Amino acid sequence: MLIASTDPLAFNLLPFITTIVVFSVVAIALGVFVWPKILKGLDDRNAKILHEIESAEAARAVAAAKQKEFEQKLAEALEQAAQMIREAKSEAVRMGDEIRAKSEADLAERARRAGEEIENARRAAIAELESHAATLAVSIAGRILKREINPADQKRMIEESMAGMSTMSTMSGSGPSKRN
Amino acid sequence: MSVFLASESDPIGHIVDKGVLGFSLFDQPVMLSMITLIGCAIVLYLLMHKAAKSIATGPVEMGNRRFIPIGSFAALVEVVVVYLRNEMLIPVMGERLTKRYLSFLLSLFFFILALNIVGLIPFVDIQDAIYGLMGKKFDIAEHETSAIFGGAATASISVTGGLALVSFIVIQFQGFRELGVKGWLEHLCGGHELVHGSIFLWLVVPIIFVVEFFGLFVKPAALAIRLFANMVAGHTLLITLTMFGAMAIKAGLGIFAVGGITIVSGIGAILITFLEVFVAVLQSFIFMFLTAVFISLMAHEEEEGHSEHGTHQGHDASVTTAAH
Repeated sequence: MLIASTDPLAFNLLPFITTIVVFSVVAIALGVFVWPKILKGLDDRNAKILHEIESAEAARAVAAAKQKEFEQKLAEALEQAAQMIREAKSEAVRMGDEIRAKSEADLAERARRAGEEIENARRAAIAELESHAATLAVSIAGRILKREINPADQKRMIEESMAGMSTMSTMSGSGPSKRN
Repeated sequence: MSVFLASESDPIGHIVDKGVLGFSLFDQPVMLSMITLIGCAIVLYLLMHKAAKSIATGPVEMGNRRFIPIGSFAALVEVVVVYLRNEMLIPVMGERLTKRYLSFLLSLFFFILALNIVGLIPFVDIQDAIYGLMGKKFDIAEHETSAIFGGAATASISVTGGLALVSFIVIQFQGFRELGVKGWLEHLCGGHELVHGSIFLWLVVPIIFVVEFFGLFVKPAALAIRLFANMVAGHTLLITLTMFGAMAIKAGLGIFAVGGITIVSGIGAILITFLEVFVAVLQSFIFMFLTAVFISLMAHEEEEGHSEHGTHQGHDASVTTAAH
């Protein structure tokens, strides 16, 4: 039976050759069947991650452009809305002024008409008063004269009185109005 | 108990490579490290194949989940591979050389790591303990073992020497491939500028040639000795700590003294085991990384300039190793 050396530094040819052979075989086997798979897997993942990062960056750039566009449109919309509000306020002011002017004109017209109607009524009242006054005066004059005055005389006297009163009115201007 | 007590004689006996049940091949004893090498190679291949299936891109039907590795082991392998490739090898070797030698360097790293980690698991002691419970007795310190698997293969200079020879072959292959025979010889003589420079500089060419020529062999030899020495030192320390309890029993100390020593040395052994796990990873990395540095040194000068930063890192790693 062969006994191995007890010296730790003793060199044995068989383990030496076995090491070379076994390592060579396992290195070739790993090199053919294992490392290429692992390295390809790592490279694939690396490429995938790089691709995803590039895609994400591109998407982010597109999103940033969209956001910028949206913000620009929003600013335009806000400006447009402010413009519309300004125009509406201006229109409202204009319409208010117009309505106020129209109302004032209408009011003035109504006041003028009312004044005319009052004047007409005053004149009619004066004419009626004059008529009554003439009749009364004739009646009084007839009683004073103690004679009967026929209708023709009465009419003539009234007309004379009226003419006289008109003359007096003319001479005194708008006397009754002033009295009022 | 007999198995445990057997460990108190010689810590080196645990570490030294042993024959397997007296088997021989070509008049040479079949060593435990050979079985461990083959076993580790098979397990490593199966584990890595499984990890590769998990990391590889899945079918399109899986959607984006096809890019995600399945399982924590695959994720761990992926992290290590990405770190070594992107942070260590590309800065040192450049994209082109890294692509060319990445498979070899990754295989080297994971193979040494598997051997180092398996060396930390006491497979040999477990097998001897099982046989001990069955009534068979082995004195492991006297090179008797029933184990057919286990042991620290990288604590054998024959194994680390074999790995270093592979590195040496790859380094020189790179030199001849990149520089050609003439360029390779110029490299040994100090480079193109020195050889084609002033005639007075030729005086130093023979000195540089001798240094560089021996450097060809010293570099891989240093790789082998560094790995071997670190593994032997760590395992010796670990086994010495576990021996204290048995030594206390043999010295006839009381139960409290034996218990105290055992607890303290046990805690120490646990802490040193954590350190050894770190050393196992570190030494695997250093072996692989220095091989990458030596390969990159055999590239064209402009590429050497490109990887100058990485070369400094390589020297830093050497310093770290020396400190260890």
